[in-house]
Amino acid sequence: MPLAKLFDYSVPAGMEARVGDRVVVPFGARQRLGVVIESGVTSELPAARVKPIVALRDDAPRLPADWLELMRFLSGYYQRPLGETVISALPPRLRSVKPLPRKALQSASAPWSARFVPNHLLNAAQARALDRMASTAGSFGAFLLHGVTGSGKTEVYLNLIARVLARGGQALVMVPEISLTPQLEAIFRRAFPETRLALLHSGLEDIARTASWLDAARGDAGIALGTRLAVLAPLPKLALVVVDEEHDSSFKQQEGLRYSARDVAVYRAKLAGCPAILGTATPSLETWHNWQSGRYERLELPERAVPGARLPAVRTIDLRHASLQQGLAAPLLAAMEARLKNSEQSLVFINRRGYAPVLACEACGWTAGCARCTARMVVHAVGRVLRCHHCGAESAIPRACPTCGNVDLKPMGRGTQRVEETLAAAFPGARIVRIDRDSARRRAELSHALEGIQRGEADILVGTQLLAKGHDFPGLTLVGVLNADAALVSTDYRAAERLFAVLAQVAGRAGRREQQGEVLVQTRYPGHPLFAALARHDFSGFAESQLAERKSAGFPPFVFEAALRAEAKKLDTAMGFLREAAARARPPAEVRVFDPVPHLITRRAGLERAQLLMQSPSRPALQEFLGLLTTRLFELTPRHVHWHLDVDPIEFD
Amino acid sequence: MRYTPAGVPAVEFSLRHESERDEAGAKRRINAEIAGIAFEAQARLLAKASLNTEIELHGFLAAKSRRSKKLVLHVTNVEFIEGD
Repeated sequence: MPLAKLFDYSVPAGMEARVGDRVVVPFGARQRLGVVIESGVTSELPAARVKPIVALRDDAPRLPADWLELMRFLSGYYQRPLGETVISALPPRLRSVKPLPRKALQSASAPWSARFVPNHLLNAAQARALDRMASTAGSFGAFLLHGVTGSGKTEVYLNLIARVLARGGQALVMVPEISLTPQLEAIFRRAFPETRLALLHSGLEDIARTASWLDAARGDAGIALGTRLAVLAPLPKLALVVVDEEHDSSFKQQEGLRYSARDVAVYRAKLAGCPAILGTATPSLETWHNWQSGRYERLELPERAVPGARLPAVRTIDLRHASLQQGLAAPLLAAMEARLKNSEQSLVFINRRGYAPVLACEACGWTAGCARCTARMVVHAVGRVLRCHHCGAESAIPRACPTCGNVDLKPMGRGTQRVEETLAAAFPGARIVRIDRDSARRRAELSHALEGIQRGEADILVGTQLLAKGHDFPGLTLVGVLNADAALVSTDYRAAERLFAVLAQVAGRAGRREQQGEVLVQTRYPGHPLFAALARHDFSGFAESQLAERKSAGFPPFVFEAALRAEAKKLDTAMGFLREAAARARPPAEVRVFDPVPHLITRRAGLERAQLLMQSPSRPALQEFLGLLTTRLFELTPRHVHWHLDVDPIEFD
Repeated sequence: MRYTPAGVPAVEFSLRHESERDEAGAKRRINAEIAGIAFEAQARLLAKASLNTEIELHGFLAAKSRRSKKLVLHVTNVEFIEGD
């Protein structure tokens, strides 16, 4: 229940309901599923008001004590009621009062073996990292595995997992996006052909996800592989936690329990007494700071794993002087032409899907906006629709301007579809593949497309960051980057960090074999230090300068933050609630409560939103304050306002 | 011929005009050129016309855009003049 308390029920005679059991209980007029959190206590309520438990569900393993402890931590840290935390951490099927079908109850039939099929021999740096991490097996330790793109981090994980499995332990491996799992899943199955693998991500059908969860919870699966929600699965024999691409923002859940799966992973490792490994080429500044302050240990893989493979050469193209063809600079087109002649692949990266971000009338200045959001509608050439990327609203492209009647409406700017069109005209005959969330609606489509690219069935790739992460395209030697500048002038202090990470990732797709790759970044600011650091492959230099800025400005990781957000039909209602909350907050000296402000995108899906930022140099002080604040907010029970608290927020739009 | 985002065919062209008119008691030779645009049926007709075809166009004048006061002829009717 979304209420910050536990409810009391009596245990009927003959029922063996223990802590961690799922039970069916009467709640109001209905029956609901609950989890026993405490037992053997006498209720403070009069006996007549305590209703008995209706049924016990023993179709899944009892939720273990350490898992409940994790839930208590999450509920406390992220300020969500325990009941809601526990129920939302269960797979869909186990939240229901209905028992599981008999078929799902079957435990693993055949015992699995930990046989490991290594793919490559480790190089010296990989072996060093492996030995160091393996030496701490059986005790907690947090490691930053900082390896440049193509340095073979996965190979290190696999070797470490092999050691854990050999001792009968379970490994939890988390990756950012579902799109990455098909490739990774294949790698894991090849490396551990006889080990049960539990896949955990929201793209699975309810039944499959529940079955995987049961595999993990029973200890039948040796490896749990999934996205952020995998961190919430019970793993009784957990002996290793791996977070791949730890900097990725998808590890932060953006609704309900707003947990950071990366941070929870480290906490879980601590609970389980095992190592946690955060792998990335571009660490988040939080993780980098944790290393610098001695909480994490950093292990470096400074070179690419394939012998002879070098990091790509990164250059900028000055947009103030280059001649442009539909947004593509002549030197980039020339470089692509050269790749085509050599039968090598090129990739054009533009982090914007659709055809054009704006539909405008040049006669009167009208632009197509979303009726429900403070945002413009994006032109999609496929299906000829306007789509809002904030609320998903869709409408037909108007024939004429609704204010002045001009038929000649113009798409302004460009997204992946328009770049694809331009390239098709510039290079007739070239095989062009576009990869974005529209072209790869389903997981199968994406993995099909990616496999085709790997086999060399494409000459030019156009894509968003879906293409940037983790993929290994042997024939790719050129990466062109469009539209990088928006992040350089953004008001979000994390924009530069994100830009560096995504550019380093996408640049890392180029030249992963003998041939050195080339990266061309189109920009109006060719002298920007970010591009210079990128060209030097100097993450630490970049991180140092960013951290110095954050420190002087008083931003995370030097302070801890929480955001109280409210949404309502009218902005005034949301702002009023936040003012009321701020007035009642009474923060201690170490906590600073700012004034409520409307979101940048004030309206979203028909609701108007505002937020109240809170900061403190002390995490415990902020936590204690948030606990008190939440209690008071639950008492406020405002009408017509939805509110939530986001602890360690990373998105502010 | 190009298409607007909603799929309406459009043709942009340049129209040259040559004639003679009376002006202040003299025969005045006229040379003029103006940018034009046509949509839908008119666009399809004009798309078929080859360069230097003689045509008679009806339409209205409108500013090119908010930023440019240059006039553009918007075609509402096209007539091809049969050559002799």
